[in-house]
Amino acid sequence: MKVMFLQPPMGGWVTWGKHIAINVNHTQLAANLREWFPEIEIKVLDCRVLGINEKEMIDTIKEIEPDLVYMGDALQTTGAAAIHPRYKAAAGLIKQVLPEASICVGGFFYGANAAKLLEETAEFDFVISGETEITMPELAKELSKNDPDLPSVKGIAYRENGLVKLSEYRPLFENLDDLPLPAYDLFPMDRYLGFSYLKHYVETYHSRGCPNGCRFCVGWTNYDTRGKEDWIHYRIRSGKKVAEELELLVKKFGIKFVVMMDEDFNVYRPRMEELIEEMGHRKLKVPFFFMGRAPYHLRDRDLLKPLRERGFVCGLFGMEAIDKKTLESIKKGVKVDQVEEAVKLFRENDIMSVVTWMTGFPEDNEARIKDRLERIDKIDPDMIGLQIVTPLPGIPMYKEVEPYIKDWDLKKWDFQHAVVSTKYLSKEDLGRLSAWANREFYSRPGRIQRILYNKKYHPFSRLIAKSYVETADAHTRAAVNDEIFV
Amino acid sequence: MQREVHLSSQDLLRAMQFKEGDFARIAVLSGQSQRVSMALEKLENPMRNFSAFGYTFWTGEYKEMRVTVGNGGLYAPDAALVTELLCAGGVDYLIRLGSCGGMREEIKIGDYVLAEGALRGDGVTRYYVDDAFVPCADKVVSDKLEEGFKKVNRGVVWTTDALLKETKEFVNDAISRGAIAVDMVTSPFLTIAQIYKKKAAAMLVVSDNLITGEVGFANIRVFDAEKRMIDRTFDLIRVIDE
Repeated sequence: MKVMFLQPPMGGWVTWGKHIAINVNHTQLAANLREWFPEIEIKVLDCRVLGINEKEMIDTIKEIEPDLVYMGDALQTTGAAAIHPRYKAAAGLIKQVLPEASICVGGFFYGANAAKLLEETAEFDFVISGETEITMPELAKELSKNDPDLPSVKGIAYRENGLVKLSEYRPLFENLDDLPLPAYDLFPMDRYLGFSYLKHYVETYHSRGCPNGCRFCVGWTNYDTRGKEDWIHYRIRSGKKVAEELELLVKKFGIKFVVMMDEDFNVYRPRMEELIEEMGHRKLKVPFFFMGRAPYHLRDRDLLKPLRERGFVCGLFGMEAIDKKTLESIKKGVKVDQVEEAVKLFRENDIMSVVTWMTGFPEDNEARIKDRLERIDKIDPDMIGLQIVTPLPGIPMYKEVEPYIKDWDLKKWDFQHAVVSTKYLSKEDLGRLSAWANREFYSRPGRIQRILYNKKYHPFSRLIAKSYVETADAHTRAAVNDEIFV
Repeated sequence: MQREVHLSSQDLLRAMQFKEGDFARIAVLSGQSQRVSMALEKLENPMRNFSAFGYTFWTGEYKEMRVTVGNGGLYAPDAALVTELLCAGGVDYLIRLGSCGGMREEIKIGDYVLAEGALRGDGVTRYYVDDAFVPCADKVVSDKLEEGFKKVNRGVVWTTDALLKETKEFVNDAISRGAIAVDMVTSPFLTIAQIYKKKAAAMLVVSDNLITGEVGFANIRVFDAEKRMIDRTFDLIRVIDE
């Protein structure tokens, strides 16, 4: 049995510059598969990082002859739902040359929509419903048998006599410390690039879920809707394990910059304390970036200094909206004042702040969006990440936003394009206003220079800022001209 | 009773409680606020001299030399006002760190132009000098400034008041009269410095190119060049009045 983890040729998220990150879903699944079923042979083909085109991809796959090809991602930042057309195209090409090979997809977008997406996509054989960690290796094991019992593999959509079936719900894996560390050794670790300039770059994923459950969040789409609230069942790797992973990345793979892609890294203070202590104990210092939440940063304000000493040079937290009504409707659970204070705290500790915010909620009109920008401008984070509401099926807000969907071309479902209208704005107006707001933020004299030439900020933070600024124009091309980037 | 001049530079300085010695002998001026901020960060113990009409000046020390920094104006009329106040206030050396549009294909975004003189496409200088007057930069100061930069394009800068009327006709006319770049400040800046017999030089970062059509007002190369321009100019401050 030969399993291939495939990242087909594709672009990336426009706002992150030239960004070729490792696939955190693949690294973890490869590790699980290797540990639990060592008899299965594992191959990795990351066309994006190797600069391989579709023909070269197919030539390589023909040579390897995998029995099962897996594509999937856990993160929205690879391109959100815009990955689906890429995976579908790759699957179609593989089927032409290796019709016997099984093709399985899973993770982000697929997890909540497994049966529907399998029905719509003849090129796929399996779609994983919910978390992939156990399901994918078990499916591979089952397929290695002479007479696979597919219904026995929980959490998959499969075909039986041409009909799509959904197997039993797969309960969540509880203790992430019981999972092996990701199989970085199988991937070309020296080739990955972040934010256009950061070489020896890696993304990691140390938790699953998020306890806050914002209603617009696309993290929900990783999860089987039968699990009801699987997404908010938050599970973590301990601080000790995170430090162990970081140490491995630095010492064995020469990693110079780490982005922790956990949707909410700083939920638990004891874990943060443990990470600080473990990194100190191991004399480990590496520049890192994580996504957290403003109220937790305020709770842990005393930890920012030791975190900065260990390498926390840049952090992202969300605000999304400013008015109470919208914040309540999206269940954000963050107050604007908290975001403002967190930005100040970051600045005091020489940590670059990135605040995310959104446009395209159903009630948005021009005044609301401009008011939101005014408030963001006053909060004055170093950088912003502006995203346009993209209503993936599986998010709690889907039904509310579905009537406003105006563009069903998934190549544009990456949060950088306007695919919805609002009650008051056309899709085009929303795209134009979003591009306007993004440009307007960075047009304040000195805002960019404040970061670029601030020697208290880590050089990598300054390079990230440079990358953001350089891609601002591409953000406009996506939002206004519908240019495709993923 | 009507006066000969409604307001003179001395009247304005007095009205702002300016006193002799508030300004240093050397002033570094920029129009864009971020350049002013970066220059201000260079100073130790900066003291605000005054604010008027939205223009603020500070005088502080850079490596034990007194230097004045501030907003030298974005356009010809305000540049004339500010330059005259500085000259009347006792500044002897004026260095403008500005931006311009290149008027030769080979002058790229992020390059530098060092003004040797200016073509007077502005409206304000005719209130100061007759049509035959040619504004010139101080050669000695310009030569010293050039030493700090690896590559500089030296030549005449056309100053216009009409950003949106940089038509082929006007641009080609300026080129035929020797202009290599265009801005909106250098003409009154040099003119008034000359009238007051002060030494002035203007170093400009190229932010766009009128021949190739390239626009780079928010280009990182321009930001980096601005930062370098400020750093290198301050490195040279000590030799400016030697």
